Amino acid sequence: MPHRKAGAAIPEMFRLMLEKPTTEAYPFQPITLPDRFRGKLDVDPDKCTGCQVCAIICPAGVITMIDKGTRKVGDRELPVKRPLFDLSSCIFCGECVDNCAFKALEMTKQFELATPNKADLMMTKCVDKK
Amino acid sequence: MSDESKRKEESAGLMEYSVENLVPFGPIHPALKEPEYFKLILEGEKIVQVIPRIGYVHRGLEKAAEQRPWVQNMYMFERTCGICSFVHSLCYAQAVEGLTIYEVPKRAEFLRLIIAELERIHSHLLWVGLMGHWAGFETLFMWVWNDRELVLDIVEAICGNRVHKSTNAICGVRRDMPENMTDRVVERMKYIVDRAHYYRSIIDTEETMLKRTENVGGKVTQETAEKLCAVGPMARYVGLRQDVRLNDPYAAYDEVPFDIVTRTEGDVRSLLRLRLDELIVSANMVSYAVQHLPDGPIRVKIPPIIPAGEHSSHCEAPRGEIFYYAKSTGGRTPDRVKSRQPTMANIPVALELLKGQSLADVPMVLTAIDPCFGCMDRMSFLDTETNENWTWSGEQLRQYGIQHYFPDRFKTQQVRRLP
Amino acid sequence: MSEVLIQHLQKYADEANGKVTTPRKGETFIEIDQAHIKAFISHVVNDLRVLWLSTITGLDLGQNFGIIYHFSHENQKIQVKTTVPKIQPSTDSIVGIIPGAILYEMEIHDLFGLMFAGNPWINQKLLLPDNWPADLPPPLLKSSKPAEIRKRLHLEVERK
Repeated sequence: MPHRKAGAAIPEMFRLMLEKPTTEAYPFQPITLPDRFRGKLDVDPDKCTGCQVCAIICPAGVITMIDKGTRKVGDRELPVKRPLFDLSSCIFCGECVDNCAFKALEMTKQFELATPNKADLMMTKCVDKK
Repeated sequence: MSDESKRKEESAGLMEYSVENLVPFGPIHPALKEPEYFKLILEGEKIVQVIPRIGYVHRGLEKAAEQRPWVQNMYMFERTCGICSFVHSLCYAQAVEGLTIYEVPKRAEFLRLIIAELERIHSHLLWVGLMGHWAGFETLFMWVWNDRELVLDIVEAICGNRVHKSTNAICGVRRDMPENMTDRVVERMKYIVDRAHYYRSIIDTEETMLKRTENVGGKVTQETAEKLCAVGPMARYVGLRQDVRLNDPYAAYDEVPFDIVTRTEGDVRSLLRLRLDELIVSANMVSYAVQHLPDGPIRVKIPPIIPAGEHSSHCEAPRGEIFYYAKSTGGRTPDRVKSRQPTMANIPVALELLKGQSLADVPMVLTAIDPCFGCMDRMSFLDTETNENWTWSGEQLRQYGIQHYFPDRFKTQQVRRLP
Repeated sequence: MSEVLIQHLQKYADEANGKVTTPRKGETFIEIDQAHIKAFISHVVNDLRVLWLSTITGLDLGQNFGIIYHFSHENQKIQVKTTVPKIQPSTDSIVGIIPGAILYEMEIHDLFGLMFAGNPWINQKLLLPDNWPADLPPPLLKSSKPAEIRKRLHLEVERK
């Protein structure tokens, strides 16, 4: 039967006082993030073709396809759509990144996304492109 | 019937029900951080009845699952709980995989085991810290959560996120282990095992923890636990060898050697020892699995339409057995998904534990069952001997417990029964 | 061991005019009609000592309700199915055999409106809020729409 005593944890307390604190000094010092960190979404408008796979697969309903006219292919008129991203609903799962066949999407390391203005989180790069 | 006993029954609002002296009660809602409401009926200091009321954060996940495609449901069920989120998505994925004709690759099964056991380690460390917090031993809480951060660093390096790991896919996992992780993981697990041995010695010798946990919690027999369908540590701490990983192995549990931990004492202290021992077993399993990872693919791509049929699957979460049932009629959305979390199965046993305890022991006993939240919101009390009726918050109840056991330490902040 | 178990189950099922199927290794489905369900479960629990009831699932099958009792025994999953007609939604409770089933039956009563006679806590609300309107159908029926529930419970959120 181990010996019962009060203050059995005191030696540990002295040991920890001599070590450096584990609290990270963020935001006064930059924070180190691992390579696979999933932050804010980013899109490359030149690679996006409007195939709609990301809009269908997104679990949170972040992506809406906007009509941008039509284009001629042979003797047919096909609709052209581009995605509009409402990043305030994003759950950072990365399904859109995995499923984009043209590698147009990637997750950056940016995580400081709090803002009082919801319009800041609408990503309109693809819709604005001519 | 006399007036007093009639009032007792009215305030209880429920009929007595007994099968061999068992009185099961309503459940605690199995979700993270939801408010729950307890009504404790006391005679002096002893608890006679407990009446909880759940459903405050009922989100209607089963109804919502019928309207979303199969893959999107995985992300929704992952968010049932923050502490055991990986096991929820794993159990759902297994329930759906049984309906398809595809097999999960071997490497994916090992990766699932590694992340599930890392989750068990972090969940048990969280719980040990909470027991320290409710007992008044804040320093233990800080130290244990400090070590938990090291485990979460490993999880973040593999999955990209600490809480909602989003790593499971139907028939596989989405991400592989990074390069050069094996040595780092093995070294970190060795450190965690050393720390777990140290915490084991603290709970065996430190006077604070011993006073609050030894012989606290009603004695529950094996037969009672079996009839009330207890799962997880609540079944193992009375001696039942009940663990899904042993009885019905899934993922790679039949290829990684381990043994489950059971105890027989039946009080809160044995639960502390049981969970710390389980933590050590899990850390050894992670070290073994990381060093014996087979090669091969990690995922099989499947079409979005799942064939018709029904299948169920269960897994061992840190709190007990998780159960999922999925039924398909051959469409893009499920016909019925049922999920049963372990805390719901442990409620009848938990309320058996509370009877006969004194008021000061309520925080420790309620946290000892490891409900899938960790805070108690509002409680109201009715003392049948003196007709007092009052309400406390969780923090006031915690202070009352500390004062009761260590009356010399806290002279400034007194908590009185009537405000 | 598992073959012996399945043989016993087949014997009890034949007595009750039930049907036993094994679609996958380790999973057995047994269909029993409503009149014999309590006796069958009593055989499974008391005679075969299969004590681990995982949960009870409710289903909406159009004209009927479905109830599935999920048992686990070592590495076998035994699911006992039965149906209850919607025009008479009441069946016997099994809390006399397994006290731990009390909460699962309360949940099915709340979410489907199926009555379990003999369960002492059946009239307590478990999950539904206290202000659930009496004329709103139970939520997990196929005819019940989430938009309607949100509107009646005043849970609509303004979307700008």
